[in-house]
Amino acid sequence: MSDILVDTRGMEPPEPFEHAMEALAALPPQGRIVLLIDRMPYPLLRLLDRDGFRHEAQVRDDNAVEIRIFRP
Amino acid sequence: MSSANPGLAYDNTPPFSAPLRFLLTAPLFGIAAGLVLLLDPSALASRWTPGALAAVHLIATGVMLQAMLGALMQILPVVAGAPLPVPRGIATATHLLITAGSLGLSWGLWQGQPPLTLGGAALLGIGLATFLAAAMLALLRAPAPPGQGRTPRDLRLALAGLAVTAALGLLLATALATGAALPVALPDLVNLHAGWGWMGWGGVLLASASWVIVPMFHITPAYPKPVVQSWTPAVFAALLLWSAVMASPWQGARLALISLLCVLALAFALTTLHLQSRTRRSTPDASFLNFRAAMLAIVAGTLATAVAIVVDHEAAPVIAGVLILHGGFVGAISAMLYKIVPFLAWLHLVQAGIKAPNVKKLSPDLPVRRQLRAHSASLAALLAAALWTPLAPIAAMAIVIEFAWLLVNLSRVVNAWRRAGGQWQQGPRKKVQNTV
Repeated sequence: MSDILVDTRGMEPPEPFEHAMEALAALPPQGRIVLLIDRMPYPLLRLLDRDGFRHEAQVRDDNAVEIRIFRP
Repeated sequence: MSSANPGLAYDNTPPFSAPLRFLLTAPLFGIAAGLVLLLDPSALASRWTPGALAAVHLIATGVMLQAMLGALMQILPVVAGAPLPVPRGIATATHLLITAGSLGLSWGLWQGQPPLTLGGAALLGIGLATFLAAAMLALLRAPAPPGQGRTPRDLRLALAGLAVTAALGLLLATALATGAALPVALPDLVNLHAGWGWMGWGGVLLASASWVIVPMFHITPAYPKPVVQSWTPAVFAALLLWSAVMASPWQGARLALISLLCVLALAFALTTLHLQSRTRRSTPDASFLNFRAAMLAIVAGTLATAVAIVVDHEAAPVIAGVLILHGGFVGAISAMLYKIVPFLAWLHLVQAGIKAPNVKKLSPDLPVRRQLRAHSASLAALLAAALWTPLAPIAAMAIVIEFAWLLVNLSRVVNAWRRAGGQWQQGPRKKVQNTV
């Protein structure tokens, strides 16, 4: 299953959150979202934790944050 | 960094009512400041008149403090991953204490009642201590992932600057009420109190918020790393040295250090203006324009401060204070409120599992643009009144209109949030996949 890339760099809040939510709603069971965002999205991470999504975050060399999100 | 942050407790995310009560109270204090100037037209004749002292404290401990604490309640969890413990309780206690304290302090200063001034200052001190203890605990417990920037450190320093400002204010109120001896001359202590409030609290908090908010909302490049790393420590070092030499006879050292603080203020404002000039936005919105105007006011206010130090004229410090306090801080705070309140309304709808309307629908640009023009008009009227006091009633009315309009615009966002399904008492939250 290929990754769904959601590149929200350069967007004004809450557009990155809105794009991430749309991608989550369309995420197939074995799919994975790769979210690129300018900063650590704490409210989104809390929401993912609450709803049982697994996620991994890392800060890239260009200071963008890359978050990989999997279905529970 | 691995999955699910164990340090994040989303149940501690403050309910919408927690920050909102502060953010909606702030404009009421602005209206009160306008009414003081209306009833006391000679207030702007000098920085030492009872009316000026009352108006300054209504703006500083009313508008600025309420807005900053309300914003911090949300900034701490969103930006620093540090939710306040017991957010409802902390919000209720802090809001009541600082509201009563600010009213008592300002009324006491205006009416020349030192015991009331001291009582108000004490309530403010207790309210602040409550908030600061909760905020420090939250920041100590917060995770520190890479890429977080310097914001948590700078937020800690801003809270420390606020604590020093409040302690100096309490000392002044105590001396006025009891006649207790002071370690330095009264005007010097007032200058220390104002200086720490200007740069140690207001300046550092504005900068630490700007490091995040300007690139995020104005779509600009990030602040240069050396600026972010060194600006706040430099401000604190200059303030500490300035405070240390205040009791000494070294006039030259005092002048050099206050000049350094002015240079630092200019560096922050000019860097922000430069970044804004490189925005990737095609059309700047009202908040962007007002933040730019606030930075220009800080530049002008800082230059006026430098003039006030070397020129002995009663209007000079009043003009500097008007530019920095009203043009700079109130302008930047208004711009931030127009970003923060709609964002919070949107976020709380999403967290409640409600399909949220677009933020632009929650807060259309046109009413914001009109209110921000009213802000510019009242700044111009205040500056004119500082030079020619018979204009004070016009400036006072302009301030009342400006803040009433701000309150109406923010209330419209709350009404739009209610119409979209927002509730003060939230029921069980729905899961993400059911929301879109």
